[in-house]
This record gives sequence, structure tokens and C-alpha cells, in this order.
Amino acid sequence: MGILYCNPKSVVERRYVHRMWIAAGLCILSSLTAALTLRFTHWKGLPAYPVAVLPALPIMWALYETGRYLNDEKDEFLRNVLVQCMLGGIGGCLAVTTVWGYLQDFAGARPLDPIWVYGIFWLCAVLSYPVVKARYK
Amino acid sequence: MKNRLKVLRAERNWSQADLAGQLEVSRQSVNAIETGKFDPSLPLAFKLARLFGRPIEEIFADEEAASESAAQSAAANESAS
Repeated sequence: MGILYCNPKSVVERRYVHRMWIAAGLCILSSLTAALTLRFTHWKGLPAYPVAVLPALPIMWALYETGRYLNDEKDEFLRNVLVQCMLGGIGGCLAVTTVWGYLQDFAGARPLDPIWVYGIFWLCAVLSYPVVKARYK
Repeated sequence: MKNRLKVLRAERNWSQADLAGQLEVSRQSVNAIETGKFDPSLPLAFKLARLFGRPIEEIFADEEAASESAAQSAAANESAS
């Protein structure tokens, strides 16, 4: 996590950071493209599917790159930190969506759009980073 | 896990960065291992042993074995007295 905003040192780290930024850029670009295309063409149903799924592709690529980084990174400590952050992300994401689910079912809260789940996951993963780092200080 | 990494490193006048460079890991890794907050894998422990020219058990302390032997000697002392 930290390597996203610290200075990456190894080739593997640099490649990972570089590709994550590209994925983030592509995600924004494809979201805008999909939103504008569907807004102006008014496509619905099956013909709209390929355009609608476009923003999900960079997201899946980012997940693949994270797995690739974990596989290629030789520094076991850095791997361990990233794995713990991702576990924090998964845990936090499950906690938020579970709480929201109960609020939705029993208290009439607005349904949570699944599109936010990926964002919640990364937000929780990033927030876990200082906690994980503090353990090793 | 307790270890003598800091002492061995100091004997050679190596900084954490120097050691990290020789091990091909980050300085944070060396720091985490040195402070006993992160246990290295067996390949990395062997690499450290080779680098310092010492067996692994001279670098890393087997705390469980140490506490067991301390308990045994305490029991032996008690029975002798």
C-alpha cells in the first residue's frame, strides 16, 4: 500500500505502481466513456452490456497486477505488509457491507450500490496500512 | 524471534541499508527482523547465516527451547535442594 505513495525501489515495485496508476486512469476514462456513450445512445439491455462493463476491465486488471506483484516481489516483508493490508481491506469491506445490509433490511436505509464495493475495499486496505506499519515500528 | 543481527551488523560496521542491499531486501525488512517483529523465512535465514558465516542458531534464538531448558534446570535445582 505504502509503495503507492512512497518512493518505489525495486523494479517489481516500480512496475506495480506504474500499472496501478495506469489502471486508475483507465478506470476513470472508461467510466466517463461508458456513462457518456450510454447517455447519448440510449442503448439498453444486451447491446449496452459491452459498454457498461468497460470500467470493470481496468479494475480486474488492477487486481491481477496486485496478484502478480505478490508473486514477483522477492522481499517477503513487503509482501507480508501488502497481504495484511489487503486482508484489512477485505475485512473492512465485509464489515461495511454487512452493516449496510442490516441497515437496509431492518432500518430502511438506501440500498448500497455494488459499484462502491471495490472502492470500499481499497479505502479499507489503504487505511489498514498505517496500522500494519505501526506493528513493525 | 530474538536475534543477534544488530550485534553482528555492528561488528562489521554495516548500516541496515548495507545489509539490506546484500540480502536484496528493503531496509524496512532488515529493521523488522532486527527488532524481532518479523520472522524471516528459512531461505532468508540461511542467506543471513551464509552472509555472517555463522549457523542459523547462532543468529536466531530458539526462545521456546531456551524457556524449556530454563524450566528443566529450575526443576532440577528444586529437586536437588
